[in-house]
Amino acid sequence: MKKYLIILALGTFVFAACKNEEATLDVLGMFSSQGPTVNTRFEQSLAYNDSVGELHFDMGQDEYDIYVCADSHITRKEHRNMDYFMACYRQAPSPKLALHLGDLIDAQKNFAYADSIVHYAGQTSNDTLLLTLGNHDIYFCQWDLYRARFRTSAYWFDTRNGSKKLDLFICLDSAEGELGTKQTAWLKQLLAAKSQEGYRRIIVFTHTHLWKLDSSQGHTSNYALEATYELTSLLGQYGVYSVWSGHQHARQLVNYKGVEYRVLNATKDAESGQSYMIATMGEGVNCRYFDYPKQ
Amino acid sequence: MKKFTLFLVLAVFFALPTYAVKRPGFGDRRYSITGMVEYSYNTTWSHHGNFDVQALLPINPHFEMETKLQFSTANVYTSVVQLRPKFQLPVGELFIETDVLYKAVARNRMNDLTAALGIGYRMDYVSVTLGVFSRVMADWGRSWYSDESFVAEPFNVLYRVEVFCRPQDNPWNLSFCISNVDDYQMERMWQPLFMAGAWYDVDNHWRLIFGAECKPTGMFHLDATFYGATARAGFTYKF
Repeated sequence: MKKYLIILALGTFVFAACKNEEATLDVLGMFSSQGPTVNTRFEQSLAYNDSVGELHFDMGQDEYDIYVCADSHITRKEHRNMDYFMACYRQAPSPKLALHLGDLIDAQKNFAYADSIVHYAGQTSNDTLLLTLGNHDIYFCQWDLYRARFRTSAYWFDTRNGSKKLDLFICLDSAEGELGTKQTAWLKQLLAAKSQEGYRRIIVFTHTHLWKLDSSQGHTSNYALEATYELTSLLGQYGVYSVWSGHQHARQLVNYKGVEYRVLNATKDAESGQSYMIATMGEGVNCRYFDYPKQ
Repeated sequence: MKKFTLFLVLAVFFALPTYAVKRPGFGDRRYSITGMVEYSYNTTWSHHGNFDVQALLPINPHFEMETKLQFSTANVYTSVVQLRPKFQLPVGELFIETDVLYKAVARNRMNDLTAALGIGYRMDYVSVTLGVFSRVMADWGRSWYSDESFVAEPFNVLYRVEVFCRPQDNPWNLSFCISNVDDYQMERMWQPLFMAGAWYDVDNHWRLIFGAECKPTGMFHLDATFYGATARAGFTYKF
């Protein structure tokens, strides 16, 4: 009898989690991804990248600002910090760019609330927010919703001053805690080619952080150890300057094999220690952190 | 009253091993050596093979030492030393796990050094271990005057829950296990490994061992996908 009650309770829990209109826990996804895997997402992203060509931003001068935030976890009720970040960014003087390091939304059906904050279709050089895919963005098979808005989860772009190449930025899809075979091969080829093209520096941005230094945030899983060894070695080998990521919700800075690994605080409302970063990219990189206003 | 209760609990705890009934399968004091071959695949290292050698050295009824070596065709070499104080209880065995695991990741020219401390309890059908471990990863080419090529992950939880189909003294057994550690790796706490194992005692000296292991990634991203798998076979010779 006890056994049947346990099975019934577990079944009800899984069913409720799946059928809840705005469920936050994709129970089935814990055991097997409900959407396409990283290899499929990468192929779809590459097909889109090829169809639109290379992405270059002419900054008009050598020095410019990048506004960077992570883990906004937008829901119907919680998007105050993200509103603030976008307002700061839009009001800032050019030249500038903005990056979001994943987990734009929190859970099921939350993209509708993000639509009023991030203007996907009307992005211009004055209002460009470039994103990387977070694990929360693809719960409950939401990859198609993400893709309909942002088109790609793995891409690169560079900043230029006229014909002068400034910095190269590479976005990686790490929403499942791994890059997959195809994206890893693409990254190797890209780094081998681009590291010879005379960029000032190469920045990689992705959602999942590589090191498990902080355990204060509970269940923020990482890459498998083998992937950590391989990826950090690869990034060091090709002289990547910095890796920016989120996921952990706790700021962190590590230097390893000549590469700087920066993890950002969350932008999520109602969480302690929220902040965003402004990186001034010139001859050096000056990273400054700004707290969100207290609520 | 509290002091008396505490005294009573401690007295029982330390007295139990003295009166423990010696059961076959527990507290075996024979030296043994194990050899295994493994086929392994993961999306990072692709297909590779491993060759494992292990030696168990029971020093006295309450203390044993185990050493393990693994040579991988992925150009990774692992050595493990385990010191295991243990106490026979009427219904099983209580043990303290102290492990040092060193991995030379030659393909990436780096070291991974892990030290663990755990406590475990093993009965006929269930074995549970819980502990903590720390890790230091360092570049082979690091300058000792810089902290740039050295990363310490100070705190991780170690867990291992294993269930057996038969009692420990049975000549054959099947086991199923969930853990974030196996003989040659200590994964971060949110990176579980799922393992199945079997043994068959051919005679009093020889034991055949079989095992399989699956490593998903992203389970606690709630978007899990397959990362790697291992199949192993080998033998143990008990002297």
